Parts: sequence; C-alpha cells; structure tokens
Amino acid sequence: MNYTVRDSTPGDCKDIMRLIVDLAEYEKMPNEVKLSHKELEADGFSSNPFFKCLVAEVPEEFKSKEGHTIVGYGFYFFTYCTWKGRVVYLEDLYVMPEFRGKGIGKALMSRIAQIGRAQGCVRMQFTVLDWNKPSLDFYSSQGALNLTAAEGWQLLRFEGEALEKLAQSAN
Amino acid sequence: MANFILRKAEPKDVSDILRLIKELAKYEEMEDQVILTEKELLEDGFGEHPFYHCVVAEVPKEQQSSEGHTVVGFAMYYFTYDPWIGKLLYLEDFYVMKEYRGYGMGSEILKKLSHTAVKTRCSSMHFIVAEWNKPSIEFYKRRGASDLSSEEGWRLFKIDKQYLVKMSSEE
Repeated sequence: MNYTVRDSTPGDCKDIMRLIVDLAEYEKMPNEVKLSHKELEADGFSSNPFFKCLVAEVPEEFKSKEGHTIVGYGFYFFTYCTWKGRVVYLEDLYVMPEFRGKGIGKALMSRIAQIGRAQGCVRMQFTVLDWNKPSLDFYSSQGALNLTAAEGWQLLRFEGEALEKLAQSAN
Repeated sequence: MANFILRKAEPKDVSDILRLIKELAKYEEMEDQVILTEKELLEDGFGEHPFYHCVVAEVPKEQQSSEGHTVVGFAMYYFTYDPWIGKLLYLEDFYVMKEYRGYGMGSEILKKLSHTAVKTRCSSMHFIVAEWNKPSIEFYKRRGASDLSSEEGWRLFKIDKQYLVKMSSEE
C-alpha cells in the first residue's frame, strides 16, 4: 500500500484534530483535549507559527473504514538546549491502528529528523508515557535514550490556578 | 542588599549568558557537556526567528560580584505547543549566582515569566528538573508546580545527532 508524507496545510486541521483526539484516547486522557481545529489553524499557519505538522496520506482506494485518507501525523517545533544549541522537539507522532506495520511512523519520524538536521539541530527530544511499551520499544530501536531513567530528569509544570496565582504576584 | 532589575537580554549579554549557562551546568554536575559558543547564542537568540528568549537579572556596579560581574542571574525560555491545549511557555534554564541567592531574585524571575505566559495566552509553563535536585523541586512545588513524571508517568527521551543522521538517510 503506498502513502505519501507531506507538509500539512490549513485545510488538514480538521483531520489533524481528529488524530490528536485518537492519540489522546490511546494515552487514556481524551478529556484533556480542549483545543479546536480553528485554534490549531490560527496557531500553526500564521506568519509566526507555533508548530509544524507533517501528515501521512493514502490514495482514495486505500482510505480508512470511515473514509479518511489522512492516516497519520508528526507534530513538531524547534526548541533550544543551552549546552548544545538547536533541538527539534517531536510533540506528537501517531498512525491510525489499521495503517500500522507499513513503515508510516518511521517515515514521519525520518522526515522530521531530516528537517531538524537541515535546520542545524543537534538532537530530537520527546516524551513517552512509561506504560507505553510499543512506543518505548520503537524509539529504542531508532537509537533513543530514556533521559528520565539515565539522568533522573522529571517533567514539571505550572498550569491553571497555580500559573495565574504566580503571575498575579509579579511586580 | 536587594537592588536588582530584571530586563530582556540584549546581544551584548551573550558572554554573561554563556558564563551563567556554564555555572548552572557545573551545579548540575554536567559542565563538560556545554559546547555552545557565544556566536551560536547570538545567532540563535537575536536573529530574525529567535530559537529562545532570555531575561537577565542585573545589580548596580557597586554590588558587582567578586569577579566584577553585574549580570547575576538569567532565565531562558521559548514557546512550545501542546496539541491538547495550545501554546505553552517552556522554561529551559533558570539560575541565580550563589552569592546573590536569598534576596528574592529567583522568585521575581519566575513571577515575571509566568506573567509573560499569561499575557501571551499560554495555558501552562513546563520545565524539567533533575530528580536529585531537592531544593529546586521544593521551590517549584511550594509555588504550585506539579510533577508530571510522577503523576502521569511521562519520561523524557532524546535521539542524538548520529541517530538523526541515520534516520534521515534511511527514508
């Protein structure tokens, strides 16, 4: 079955949103998705985009049971490491279950690695849930290193009320 | 002594920023990992599409450090994107020189950043902390931060340059 990996366009946002929700369901957190496809469009396709997204597309004759031809996506942006420089951050990588095992995930990831290298990035970074064995195995096979295990890094956040409270006390 | 100002970093600050990056890396017991140069910091932070933003803490000349420095703290951040909730502010590095701690500089920097986050409509501020760094973890938790690695199981991964090159050439 053939497929193409290409840059997304504003018209792809409804499909991307659909896949974002699918991935959130897989990660057991579907209620956490608050974003709309309109916000995605505004934030990703203006003159100062906050992210980039690649999509994997199959021809009409291979469309999914529900009639979709956009069957996977790779969502990324650029970050910075004060020790080494530019980093490409892989925020989401997902392929619909019925299209797995055909190399689509690897193709999306490779293209992002290529884009990262073209921008002078020294590293790709991402997070994975500790129970997600299929993904943990896939990334290890590509040469990924678990920094939480190897170096003890913990991911923290300030959000909602805590962020507001902190902001309000600024001078 | 409590006189200090917080301001946006300027191109002239890159040598102080690199000095503080190296001091922080030393505190994290990883100082030989810093290979970034002043030239890269300048290009990456003050070009047309900056990869990072930086705030510095400066004291008056009469309160300069034992080595004659007036830039005594910094925070480096950039904007990332969560497909579930939208824009986030990511705090990459945050450091105040040892001799200037205990005067509220760290608190003020964090407040200023959270104010920036709210002003730019970010839903959350994210950052990583080494699990052995108890003083920092307590500092953040006291201000309402949650540890996503403990609470939700997120693990941080990286793929280094040699594997990125391999992946990009395998497409």
